[in-house]
Amino acid sequence: MLRPVFIAASGLLCARGDSPGAVSEALWAGECSAGNYTLGERSFPYFALPLTETDWLLRAEHAIRQVSAQLGPLGPETPLFVASSSFQIGYFEQQGAPFAMPIGSASFSRQIAEWMGLRGVRHSFSNACVSGFSALDAARTLIGAGWIDEAIVLGIELANASTLAGFAAMELLSPGVCRPLDARRDGLVLGEAVAAIRLSATPSRWKIAGQASGLDGYSTTGPDPEGGPIARVMADCLHDAQLTAHDIELIKLQAAGSPGTDLAEAKALRQVFTAARPPLLSLKPALGHTLGASGIAELVALLACLDAERLPATANFRDADADIGLAPGTVRRTAHIRRALLNLIGFGGGLASLIVERNG
Amino acid sequence: MIFLNAAFTQHFTPDALPTAVRTALGKPLRRAAVLTQLALLGAFAALPAERRRLPTVLLWQSTTGPRQETLALLDEVCNGPSEPMPYDFLATQPALAAAQIQPFLPGLQAASHVPLDNGSSANWHLLLALAGEWLRTGRYAQALCAQLDHQPEMASGHWLSLSTDATPGALATVALHSAPLGAPLADIPDLPARLNDWLGQAGPATCHLESPAAPGLTVEFARL
Repeated sequence: MLRPVFIAASGLLCARGDSPGAVSEALWAGECSAGNYTLGERSFPYFALPLTETDWLLRAEHAIRQVSAQLGPLGPETPLFVASSSFQIGYFEQQGAPFAMPIGSASFSRQIAEWMGLRGVRHSFSNACVSGFSALDAARTLIGAGWIDEAIVLGIELANASTLAGFAAMELLSPGVCRPLDARRDGLVLGEAVAAIRLSATPSRWKIAGQASGLDGYSTTGPDPEGGPIARVMADCLHDAQLTAHDIELIKLQAAGSPGTDLAEAKALRQVFTAARPPLLSLKPALGHTLGASGIAELVALLACLDAERLPATANFRDADADIGLAPGTVRRTAHIRRALLNLIGFGGGLASLIVERNG
Repeated sequence: MIFLNAAFTQHFTPDALPTAVRTALGKPLRRAAVLTQLALLGAFAALPAERRRLPTVLLWQSTTGPRQETLALLDEVCNGPSEPMPYDFLATQPALAAAQIQPFLPGLQAASHVPLDNGSSANWHLLLALAGEWLRTGRYAQALCAQLDHQPEMASGHWLSLSTDATPGALATVALHSAPLGAPLADIPDLPARLNDWLGQAGPATCHLESPAAPGLTVEFARL
């Protein structure tokens, strides 16, 4: 990487609030209530956006415009990197058969750019739960190499029955609450989010210090239970940042309450953080698992917490799991964090880690 | 220096695709979506066996994505009596392709799927820029860049294979420039075929890829 890349601005709309600051406040207050999404005869907890529109496209436009406004004035030629695992499939559901899908599987990115007033280059990424960091990786690479000077990286995941039904059919969803690392954990709770960051070569408060991605072909629906590939990606990320495990002061886990994936992540953490282990945090009990948006949404939420120097507790953790042998922080506290590592472990084998570092 | 080691296109009818996979692997690739099968066949064609353990990244774009599978899922979810079959949902997830072929390409360390947002242009300039930077910085030893599409009557894969070392039969060098170099190739899905046209003719020593979407980034190919 030839030049460092910074996070110059951020925007967020999720179940916990309509700005990074509001989400940080809600997390500090311990808010973690969810609504429900009914799917046939079954109903699942679900973290919906706080929007009133029922028309899918109007709702999407409202969400995009709201997040875009938080980024400040955007040059119309600013490159846009969109991350999503479902794009506008909810719109097709609402329109009904014959499902008029346009040519171009990411055609929704054109609409997003138009709503944001962007007419420059657009790139889309769809790599399941790691989509956000895939997009960020690409944008950071191009800025770092000097091909572009700034970029908007936007993650979007909006309500749709197809994704929920797919996860439900594979029995990956919790019927109750998301309990990361807890012995009682029984699956994911999905949610919606739209989040964006403005990356720039111009110095700002937070720097992307390191990033790495990986692939775990153990299974299509879960990682290697021993956590080896996850550990390698974290180690690669530390190497990219020229840091050691001792330098990390906080880890934002993937930990979504999945029986297998939480265990694999825990085993990986024990391999990389062998001595002192930094505090662990999962945001998914409060935000839900927002899939393709989760990388950017959780990054923005975390940075808002770090800016406020207030680390929220991980909700819903009570019973330690002897196999996991780790516990997230369950008591909120104030702290000045300089470096944090964020993990994503994707459905479909994608892995990604990111280190953010306070600049100066 | 970065080398273009292979540029080729593959087309398969629905019947021919699983047969080709079975021939390549010596066994069927069970429960693999069409895009996964295309990824496997292209990667095998691009990388001889001795290079399949080298650190590799797969960057692939698609116009159609899993369109047929998504339409089938929508029909199940919106019109069906119950939740979809798990494998019908899995077939709509393009990210699975890389994980499913990794056991046969042990060096495959990372992959990224870049869906396209229109039917006319492609994003080779992004794939090649990322591949070029990641090879140059030593993140990977080789990069596979592809355009994979799946339509009812035909599945197609367009492939470029790049590495930091020239393999026997390497075709060209690849370099990135910030200035336009004139008479560019268009950034369209079948770029590998256009490159082969250039390579097959006596003519200019170099050719260039530029995208109107990304002025200031030119990919230069120079014959060896």
